[in-house]
Amino acid sequence: MLQYIFKRVLLMIPTLFGVAIIIFLLLRVVPGDVVEARYMAQGSQFLSQDLMDQERKKLGLDQPLWRQFTSWMGGVLRLDFGLSMWTGSPITEEIKLRFALSLQLAIMATAVATLLAIPLGILSAIKQDTWIDYAVRVFSIAGLAMPSFWLGILMILGMLIIFKWLPPMVYTPFWVNPWDNLAQLIWPALAVGYRYSAVATRMMRSAMLEVLREDYIRTARAKGLWLKLILARHALKNALLPVITVIGLEFAFLLGGLVVTEQVFNLNGLGLLFVEAISHRDYTLTQALVLIVASFFIFVNFATDIAYAWLDPRIRFR
Amino acid sequence: MMKRLASLLTVAASAMLVMPAHVHAQKYGGELIFPVPSEPPSYDGHREETFGLIHPLAPFYNTLLRVDPNDRGGTKPYPSIAESWTASADGKTYTFKIRSGVKFHDGSTLTSKDVKASYDKIIFPPEGVGSSRKGQYADVASVEAPDASTVVFRLKRPSGSFIASLLSPYNFIYKADILAKDMHWYEKNIMGTGPFTFVEHVKGSHVVGKKNANYWDKGKPYLDGFRAIFIRSSSAQVAAVRGERAHIQFRGFTPADRDSLKAALGDKITVQESPWDCILMVALNHEKKPFDDKRVRRALSLALDRYQASEALSKIAIVKSVAGVQVPGTPYATPPEELEKIAGYWKDIDKSRAEARRLLKEAGAENLSFTFKNRGTPMPYEPLAVWLIDQWRQIGVTVKQEVIEPAAYYTPLRSGDFQVAMDFQCGYIVEPDLDMYKFLSVDRNHANYGRYTDRVLDEMYDKQSSATSDEERKKYIRAFEKRLLDEEAHYLMTLQWHRIIPHSSKVKGWTVTPSHYLNNTLDVVWLDQ
Amino acid sequence: MAVTKETLETLTNTEPARPRWLQAAIDFTRKRPLGALGAVIILLMTLIAVTAHWLAPYDALATDYGAMLASPSSQHWLGTDAYGRDVMSRIIYGSQTALIVGLGASLIGGTLGALIGVASAYFGGRIDLIVERFMDVLISFPLIILALAVVAILGTGLTNVMLAIAIPMIPRCARVVRSSALAVREMPYVDAARAAGFRDSRIVLRHMLPNVMAPYLIMVTAFLGQAILLEASLSFLGLGVQEPVAAWGLMLRGAAVEFAETAPWMAIFPGVAISLAVFGFNLFGDSLRDALDPRLRTQ
Repeated sequence: MLQYIFKRVLLMIPTLFGVAIIIFLLLRVVPGDVVEARYMAQGSQFLSQDLMDQERKKLGLDQPLWRQFTSWMGGVLRLDFGLSMWTGSPITEEIKLRFALSLQLAIMATAVATLLAIPLGILSAIKQDTWIDYAVRVFSIAGLAMPSFWLGILMILGMLIIFKWLPPMVYTPFWVNPWDNLAQLIWPALAVGYRYSAVATRMMRSAMLEVLREDYIRTARAKGLWLKLILARHALKNALLPVITVIGLEFAFLLGGLVVTEQVFNLNGLGLLFVEAISHRDYTLTQALVLIVASFFIFVNFATDIAYAWLDPRIRFR
Repeated sequence: MMKRLASLLTVAASAMLVMPAHVHAQKYGGELIFPVPSEPPSYDGHREETFGLIHPLAPFYNTLLRVDPNDRGGTKPYPSIAESWTASADGKTYTFKIRSGVKFHDGSTLTSKDVKASYDKIIFPPEGVGSSRKGQYADVASVEAPDASTVVFRLKRPSGSFIASLLSPYNFIYKADILAKDMHWYEKNIMGTGPFTFVEHVKGSHVVGKKNANYWDKGKPYLDGFRAIFIRSSSAQVAAVRGERAHIQFRGFTPADRDSLKAALGDKITVQESPWDCILMVALNHEKKPFDDKRVRRALSLALDRYQASEALSKIAIVKSVAGVQVPGTPYATPPEELEKIAGYWKDIDKSRAEARRLLKEAGAENLSFTFKNRGTPMPYEPLAVWLIDQWRQIGVTVKQEVIEPAAYYTPLRSGDFQVAMDFQCGYIVEPDLDMYKFLSVDRNHANYGRYTDRVLDEMYDKQSSATSDEERKKYIRAFEKRLLDEEAHYLMTLQWHRIIPHSSKVKGWTVTPSHYLNNTLDVVWLDQ
Repeated sequence: MAVTKETLETLTNTEPARPRWLQAAIDFTRKRPLGALGAVIILLMTLIAVTAHWLAPYDALATDYGAMLASPSSQHWLGTDAYGRDVMSRIIYGSQTALIVGLGASLIGGTLGALIGVASAYFGGRIDLIVERFMDVLISFPLIILALAVVAILGTGLTNVMLAIAIPMIPRCARVVRSSALAVREMPYVDAARAAGFRDSRIVLRHMLPNVMAPYLIMVTAFLGQAILLEASLSFLGLGVQEPVAAWGLMLRGAAVEFAETAPWMAIFPGVAISLAVFGFNLFGDSLRDALDPRLRTQ
């Protein structure tokens, strides 16, 4: 087992390195740079090439690419992401608050998704091919079909027209004021969680169906639903693994991928920060963000692989 | 006798009742909350170019001069750090008397040394220090501080717009001692003389300022403090005002926002509007065929029904008046009845479009089709592009829109890699020298994206700039406008922006101006609550 | 009585003869009513897109400043937008954009992914390892973030958006196809082909690709819905298709949000169109997946 873990850890390194190289190069291919974004976005008339060159020199943008890359990597290895090119403050400081918001939103949305998916999936499996099953499936596929930003627009519109009330505008950390915090985040969590529950519901349903097909549960059929459920509970533990995987991976994506939802609900999270960073051509910040989100994703992947291997020893020797 | 005394007392009493009401019309206290659509990249006003810096940070600073906070025109010079000023007869020396008793927030006293250091940083920045407005002061030879309360600017040549250039809201007065130690200190720190002192800036969230109890202008500011919240999404900004979580947004809202706020909150909302000293223009690349042909350029202008647009688009976008090269209603603007004589401004749109088609045919460009580059800023770039493309469609021209992100937008414009593109001009003050500089020949102004050279136009500019009387100046401005928009049709004007500020009726003492860069010191603003 | 060819024919002909495809469709409907519903929605949408020119009551580009923001009426069934353009006509024409981008992106992404997956499985060894790592890298970028980066490089517009959506799909498809291809590779006929000295490209294209059609089709249909959604999201952010082209995501942007209260039809109907289309593709894709590969159901 230890050997397997070691092997998987080793595999993570080239992946992360690849992510670093790709984002580094991608950004350099994108036209424009931070100096242009700062001084020319307003179409200034009184601007000298000198000034722009000076600024580029200060940011190290005049250096050859390989040197820019090695100095960035050198910093990353020491867990120092450097300074944002746009604001000049440390990247950790830029990210801190947004990370807290995105993490909380991801957790809340995942909770919503899980709370919807598990009971609905089980219900749908038990009542397979009845109208309940169809209703659940339509409900979950509809969740997947509705753009969550549109759902967000409708939710805000509804609150505005019906309750004449709007969620707070500014993020308050949970420990400062839990009420304000939840009043702001519960809506996007619902919009996103509903969407993400769809895949998990489907997984849950098929996992449950698998379990229900086991012989000893079939024999319990006559003895009523509840007994069936109780019996199924034991068998379910293994079947839940794919469900947990799906939820885990989605959690990782939620962290950085909620760009449009954040826009609709005006949440100051990592997704919007990413859009802003790209539009400012803030190389260092964008690189750091991508690396963080990707490592998170890779780590979740790693963790589920380990869990699989632990439960199913055959995998270790593949 | 008693009766007389009594009535006297009554008079006195009523006088007293009236008097205080008058004197203390302004109420003290309260925190002004306002959303700011963009966040300042650094704190250095000399370096940045965005209102995202002015709105949250201007209250921490003073400038040498400012625009009169009660002037709706937004042009009247008003004393600030400088109590008064004089200009020499030859117009080459300006002397400013620096106010005494002005203190920085750390308690130190401001002197002429600080003013000189600040302007030296703006006009003569040392190697490695960014100053975006250096070019604006090309006429300045030196800044001197002969004694603690005097600052002298010496110019190379007289300049009619010099005082206007000192009204720039970006030219914060910094502390000389700090600049001497570190020219970059102000990028990440704040130390000014303004009516408010800096409390905190939470990245991506907000800036908070609190009342400067030792402000030099006694009795001000009225507010206890302010809180600038960074909200990128415009619907969320509106929601903030609507939900009474914010009082005002100083940049401007759309007509739809204004109407929905007014409908929802009624008297709790006060709307202030003004023509806005910003305009979108269409740059026609003279280096690309067939836009080197003025018949084609004129045809594209003639296709536009600006009057209908003024009525229709003003319902959905932040534009309104039909304009030439000056903000309508300002002293040098061409009056509407004269503007109507310029091609593309004719009232009879059918005649215009017929002429447009004729010109295209004559130029051999009947089935003209091109790509229109536009900036990825939704308001008002998108509605104006939709309008333009539809108008051109009506004279048989097919246009495809290509939208480019703001950060990358000026790259193709500067390199000339476009046919037709949206261009933008925005000023902090209405001043022909500043507003028309944009249109000078490309060798005099590299921000001329039409990429033309027109010496006749340049000459008219110089003549209006050095004109000695208003009448003479107007004459040259008219000639300039006629040549730019009609005869040569170098650039096509769309509609003048229109600034709409619907704010909480509690906000008093704030006056809208044609610029969203002005009037954000907040010293005269108070809350009626 | 010996069973002759004739009797066999009469026996099978007792039921009225149905074309095979119809029978398949009927079976599919009977077994998977939801999938059939999806198929109907897709068919309808395709029909609308193809006949948009005749179907739409107005030109999707024609502005009418006299009828700005008009509410639904007999003239404009779904109202008009901020420029007086007919919302229904724009939704009808928008289905073209959605289908073009959806089909284009998922075919490009799915096909490239399938090719890479099959090739990677076929060659195995170091090539497989390197390709796999590269796919790992691509997959670690959240979908929308990769799409955003691609749009930033290529610029906006229909073709670029299609590519921006296709690229993040490549690794996802490659992975699934690769695992199926690994099994195919072990089949005797592939060995035989190799022994016969066929070129690698021929073996991959002729022998392996056809055998991974099932996972390929499943991935492509699954992508279709997602691609339509992504296009809408990108257009909503202003990074996708550009005005004045009729596109659903674009219709939800700007004025639709601003006037949501006074002219809710602008925000509601295009959203309904997106949801319905994606819903149809998802329903169909789901059932197709169940039908083509029962094993996948439990994975």
